[in-house]
Amino acid sequence: MVSGAFLGDAAGRLRSSVVTIVDESRGRGGHGAGFAWGKGDLFVTSAHVLSANAGLVVTPDGRAVEGTVVGRDVDRDIAVVHAPKARVPAATTGDPYTLRPGSLVFAVGHPLGVKDAVSVGVFQAVRPVPSGYGLAERRPRRGRSPFIPWVQADVRLAPGNSGGPIADVEGNVIGVAAMIVSGLALAVPAPDVERLLASLG
Amino acid sequence: MTDSRSSIAALSDQLADAVAAAGASLVAVHARPRLPSTGVHWKDGVVVTTEGTVRQDEDITVTLPDGKRIAATLAGRDRGTDLAVLRVPTGSLRVAELGDPATLRPGNLVLALARLDEGGARAAFGAVSATGGKWRSWKGGEIDRWLQSDLTIYPGFGGGPLVDSAGRIHGVNSGALSRPLATTIPVETVNRVVTQLLERGYVARGWIGAAMQPVRLDEGGGLLLVSIEKDAPAAKAGLLLGDVIVALNGKSLESFEQLLDVLSGDAVGKRMRLDVVRAGEKRPIEVVVAERPRRRR
Repeated sequence: MVSGAFLGDAAGRLRSSVVTIVDESRGRGGHGAGFAWGKGDLFVTSAHVLSANAGLVVTPDGRAVEGTVVGRDVDRDIAVVHAPKARVPAATTGDPYTLRPGSLVFAVGHPLGVKDAVSVGVFQAVRPVPSGYGLAERRPRRGRSPFIPWVQADVRLAPGNSGGPIADVEGNVIGVAAMIVSGLALAVPAPDVERLLASLG
Repeated sequence: MTDSRSSIAALSDQLADAVAAAGASLVAVHARPRLPSTGVHWKDGVVVTTEGTVRQDEDITVTLPDGKRIAATLAGRDRGTDLAVLRVPTGSLRVAELGDPATLRPGNLVLALARLDEGGARAAFGAVSATGGKWRSWKGGEIDRWLQSDLTIYPGFGGGPLVDSAGRIHGVNSGALSRPLATTIPVETVNRVVTQLLERGYVARGWIGAAMQPVRLDEGGGLLLVSIEKDAPAAKAGLLLGDVIVALNGKSLESFEQLLDVLSGDAVGKRMRLDVVRAGEKRPIEVVVAERPRRRR
């Protein structure tokens, strides 16, 4: 039997690593999610959440800290923000390529402004998006290529989840929530994020 | 590891096991442009999918779990229940392990599965929302059991199975009938339609060739004949425009449902005893049910 705590431990741990990313150049609209990585002074988010070179990182305890963009890959829709004063525990990462379809996963983000909301579902695949799902197949746009691998999951996302983590049942981040296509949640695979961070040196 | 983490991890493993088990009997069906749909290897050499996703009668192929793509032939289709049956060479893949949908209750955890490409089975997760008795689809087919769940039927998930947490298949999910909740065509209906489609390529339905509308009379309800087709059973029996059918096989007739129930199943060739009110007088008329012409299916 599943205990009353269900995902409580894993979700609680991951929520302590999730921040709000505010793009001040966009006024009230520019809110997305992000999460602490590595030693906890770097934050991963979506490139489309933060188009400026700097932004605010709002920590789980409510502090707004200045951050600067130190890495950006628009084609992979990832931005990396350096915010040494944030002091947020880093999330642990997992490998989506070892997950089996049907495994439970969960997302943490701020859908429609609801802070640190958890949504639960199952992992589907990490591979290119099926043709016919309507992901810019005819006119590819930057950051929306259907031909590169995406973590695909049956998890409910909404605007405000972008840049937030999707994690396995232990709370290890397997992808960065990027968009919803035909109702399907798409996330950038964690290994791709690791590659970008490694290239920053 | 705490108890809550281990039990949730165990549930996650169990769901992945269920996907792996049921996924071994799923194919991707390529019978329309761009997006494939899903098919279940229901019996050896027989694949079931939804009728609405089979847009061509020729040049159909299926992708097997090992990624190989093979040819399939259309054995028949039934728009009423939204089911189509394909034949593939026997022994192509594992045969589905079927469950008993009568055991499903609202709240049971279930999965909708699909195969869309060579990349493995896909899953959506949710719970049974509602169950119930026999109903008729808006396309006119009789479905033996009401089975709805809160699963998302993603593009290409139509024709895929509803699977319980042990990996047993309880029916076929219909995208066309899923509005807004996911609707599953249960095992017993699929079995019945598969048998008929393999035998003659279509599902025979009873027909008398008349249109009617419900009316109220002093004595109760009835069905007023508003059109009768030439040479159809209703015409041959002597029914006339303006007649009101007030009883069917001795029971008073209040709704279309009663008439449709008699016309479905093995109705073809059977006699229906009608009580008809014509010019204020009740008279008995016997109609022999014919098979609905194929173009009408």
